[in-house]
Amino acid sequence: MAKPERGGWIAPTAYLMGAGWYFATCIVVGIVLGLWLDDLTGLEPLFILLGIVLGLTLAIGGGIRMLLPFMKRFGGGANGASGDGQ
Amino acid sequence: MRRFRLPLIIIAALAWVVVGLIVARGPQPEIIVPAEVITKVGFLNISNTMISAWAAMFILLVGCFLATRTMKLIPTGAQNFVESVIEFLMGQLEDIAGTKNARRFFPVIATFFIFILLANWMGLLPFFNAIGKTEDIGVEIFHYIEEHHEDHEPFKEEIAHSSGWIVDNVGIGLVLPNADDAHFEMGAAPATPVSAEEALDKYIVFLAETFTDFEAEGGGGHGPGEVTPEMLTAAVAALNADPDAPKLLPATEKHAVPSAALGDELVVSGIDFPGPKLALIIPLFRSVYSDVNNTIALALISFVMVEFWGLRTLGFSYLGKFFNFSGFIPFFVGILELLSEFIRIVSFAFRLFGNIFAGEVLILMLTFLLPFLIVDIIYGLELFVGFIQAAVFALLTLVFAVMAVEHHDEEHDDHEGEAGHDELESQGTPGQ
Repeated sequence: MAKPERGGWIAPTAYLMGAGWYFATCIVVGIVLGLWLDDLTGLEPLFILLGIVLGLTLAIGGGIRMLLPFMKRFGGGANGASGDGQ
Repeated sequence: MRRFRLPLIIIAALAWVVVGLIVARGPQPEIIVPAEVITKVGFLNISNTMISAWAAMFILLVGCFLATRTMKLIPTGAQNFVESVIEFLMGQLEDIAGTKNARRFFPVIATFFIFILLANWMGLLPFFNAIGKTEDIGVEIFHYIEEHHEDHEPFKEEIAHSSGWIVDNVGIGLVLPNADDAHFEMGAAPATPVSAEEALDKYIVFLAETFTDFEAEGGGGHGPGEVTPEMLTAAVAALNADPDAPKLLPATEKHAVPSAALGDELVVSGIDFPGPKLALIIPLFRSVYSDVNNTIALALISFVMVEFWGLRTLGFSYLGKFFNFSGFIPFFVGILELLSEFIRIVSFAFRLFGNIFAGEVLILMLTFLLPFLIVDIIYGLELFVGFIQAAVFALLTLVFAVMAVEHHDEEHDDHEGEAGHDELESQGTPGQ
């Protein structure tokens, strides 16, 4: 992989940090919403389970959508699969 | 000599830490999550984070005005600095979004970056969290009691101020300086939370028992029993008779809590404790993004701008991304897309808030625990965190904006073949 330009590390670093936080937020929001709805409706543990499933789905689905373009750009590695930007 | 270098450095570092502990130990910090309200203007609470935000805006406006007042073709000094910052940002934006989009998004993205960076770095200035008005704990505690009195709600959560007082579901407790038993038992059962007025009565009896010879029947301030009007009157008399006892402050125009047993006959606005005053500092300046209200505001602006750019570029077809009725799977994916848009607001807001607030707490605690060396290292780290968080916020807004305006093209290209991806890559894939 070619040496990044000056300041070229900022964008990938910031992007990956953002993606990491996105995973965490999805799961936490799902769980908190689930707990709140369980508390509200008294249907424990229905909504917490739904919240976990929805949170994980969002985290994985959204995470893949966020990371695919990143992988395409930077994930070529030694074999240079993606070709450009290396 | 060389082999002694490392041990010498370690000894010097330890000595530096010890010197710091002896001569420069800061006061024990109070960690308060919501921004402290400095003053009220009408219905608007002016918090210390708002004041800091205005200060940052003022610095940016005046700085930019001064730097660009006498523009030269070949820039020097401040104009040179401002131009180099703008050029650097423009370069980063063009790399990620392409020239056309970069120029369009630049005002918002660059504002995000510069303002967040300045606000974060300003939060590390020495006078942040250090200067402000002090509030006597004997009075300050009553502000909390007063809120509950106004709402007619018993205390639910515990609020403990290590330097002064504790309020929980059994009442109010006083933490005296250097006391062995910092928390005292109010005596009421936690299963039956007390109201603000009842807590006040118990507190007055407790103070009379602690500071004077007064002894109440049936537990009084400590026991589970009710405080009778006679008991309370006697306790107040005992407090007034003893010159060294705390004094009840009469109601003021702003603050007043009536007693439960005596009603309007005894209305208190605070307690004046004898001896050195314990005070809580309400800082005048606090890091802007250590207040979740500000990060949510910024996240909402980011969200609205991304949707605005998406709608403006693609028209109503932009909404097709979220409401796709062509099949079950596309419909489900659309709903997920819609949910992710809103999760993004939470993610944006809490990422910035969490990082900045945690940094602030870390520095305050380390200044108290290990001043000098260790706190300096963390200080450096916080400079980096402030920069990275500004970059994360600005960059992610940019990437989502690029995704919003190019989504249509991307799907279109997906149907037509792989060629489209190259176009996307060259125009706007993140991380270029």
